[in-house]
Amino acid sequence: MAVRLREVLSLMTRNKQSIVGLTIVLAFLITAILMEASALLNVQFTPYPANPLPSQASPQLLPPSLAHPFGTDNLGRDVLSRILVATPYDFMIGFAVVGSAVFIGAVLGGLAGLRGGLLDEFLMRFTDIFFALPVLLIAMVVGAILGGGIENMSLALMITWWPSYARLARGESLKVAHQNYIEASRLSGQRSPSILFRHVIPNISGTMLVYATLDIGTVILVYSGLTFLGLGNHPPAPDWGQMVASFNGYILTDPWLALIPGLVISFGVIGFSLLGDGIKDTLGIR
Amino acid sequence: MNLLRFLLRRLAFAVFVLFCVLTLTFILSHLIPGDVIQAWLGKEAALYPNVAKAYAARYHLTDPVYLQYIYYITGMLQGNLGISPSEGFIPVSSVIESTLPLTLQIVLLAFVMCVVLGVGLGILAARYHNTPADAAIRVFYLAGYSSPPYFIGIAILVVASLYLRILPTGGEYDAVLVSPSTSITGFPIFDALVQGNFSFAENASIHLILPAMTLALVTFGVITRVARSSLLDVMQADYIRTARAKGLDEGSVFYRHGVPNAAISLITISSLVMTFLLTGSVFVEFLFSYPGMGYYAFKALQGSDYPGIMATVFVFAAIIIVTNLVADILYAYADPEIRLG
Repeated sequence: MAVRLREVLSLMTRNKQSIVGLTIVLAFLITAILMEASALLNVQFTPYPANPLPSQASPQLLPPSLAHPFGTDNLGRDVLSRILVATPYDFMIGFAVVGSAVFIGAVLGGLAGLRGGLLDEFLMRFTDIFFALPVLLIAMVVGAILGGGIENMSLALMITWWPSYARLARGESLKVAHQNYIEASRLSGQRSPSILFRHVIPNISGTMLVYATLDIGTVILVYSGLTFLGLGNHPPAPDWGQMVASFNGYILTDPWLALIPGLVISFGVIGFSLLGDGIKDTLGIR
Repeated sequence: MNLLRFLLRRLAFAVFVLFCVLTLTFILSHLIPGDVIQAWLGKEAALYPNVAKAYAARYHLTDPVYLQYIYYITGMLQGNLGISPSEGFIPVSSVIESTLPLTLQIVLLAFVMCVVLGVGLGILAARYHNTPADAAIRVFYLAGYSSPPYFIGIAILVVASLYLRILPTGGEYDAVLVSPSTSITGFPIFDALVQGNFSFAENASIHLILPAMTLALVTFGVITRVARSSLLDVMQADYIRTARAKGLDEGSVFYRHGVPNAAISLITISSLVMTFLLTGSVFVEFLFSYPGMGYYAFKALQGSDYPGIMATVFVFAAIIIVTNLVADILYAYADPEIRLG
């Protein structure tokens, strides 16, 4: 069933699961926007600075307390503040990668389904090649060559993320391509790219967005894995996965340092999973 | 006849994709900024100019690009993967020879755990669907696959090793207590079992449990979800209604007719599961200090060991491609439409 764009928003609130997911996602989203605003306006919204000078730092390795709800790390930095400040990075990259994947996939898959024939065959073989590339490993290679950092990792992920969207778009566009209004457009002389953008894509984007909401969480998961391996934001800028990696040695003495950023990541991704699953349930898609 | 043609086409495509991956790693390796020889030999290359020259001559690093490509492809296919700076300049192929079986041990155990857990919970969730049990199972697998593998690993490590103290914190085996047997197949546990070295086999197997369990917990959700939904679909089919009409009780209908027919859809996702398990092994091996190929990939990344990185990516991709091919073959065999034409 091709889902229209307008319906997507109402779909997100139809069952309990997606409402819970939506709440979590919105909480993170608002935090991300606030933190980004605070960085741009040079105002501090967090209880403590995320990158304090040594003179501003609190005592090191404090366990969670009222003053420091998540404790302090080995340099005396407040963990809660650092986690808050790191939020925009993961979310921006999530939206950026999925956004580009949706666009690339919609164009390639939509065109393949619309035109069919040799073009379809060629585009799908091309997609299959990229499908076989393991995302994490390619990102590791790109990271090794270009160095780490959020821009390079976004690039690496964007290159490898689009194939499933191309397949999805092709499937949806095949359903749409035989409709009468498409034939009418062709008969009236409209060229394929124009048909693609004005008729096909608006009708397939609903389904693709449903898939995309679930996927943003996956991007955040993969990106946090890359930051864990050291390919993300360079220190001292905070990043959730990188925080887990650097506190790996403190598991015995201060386990909360490594566990809390991990919990935050899990929580965020669970929010997206609930939202995506809830929408799928409402639509009856498996 | 149709099946054979399908298989040949799939095989040809798999070979083609492998070739593309090789080409991709070649292109990427030549995008490394700076002097190529230095990049491939590691940072000490400047100290040993004669070695660097000999290396460049041997690996044709000064020839034109298209010649290098031909040498690269033929070399890779013959098993010559270069020399690894981060492992003390031993051939990459020997590093992979010693580390890949260890990774496969973890991945295979994780796969078994994953299938057992995933299918078991999927069947339960379908049997009792729309009850609180179903919801509880959903929360469980959602939490599982939404969490980063290293987080679950750390959580399990803290609970099992540090608080309960029943499982080791890492490593392949306790060198103080046991020692491995001579290598026959390259799989330490299997070699030990075959030669009667049961204490090593037991010790090494215990060290497999936490890493494999971490991987399984992160991946089983995919299987549970597909098993549940395909089972629910199958239960709507006509032949199920017939079985009920014949007087079979619900349990028999479910387990003897429903489950086997839903099993086919599991084949298609098993290759996806393998991909997750393989890429997850990088994190898990790092966390548990397990000297497998994932750990080597990580060390190669840290040490800017480009031959190592390229080789591990190639081997991982090759395994994934082969797994996809096997899954396609099994599915083609199981699906009567393709098998009988």
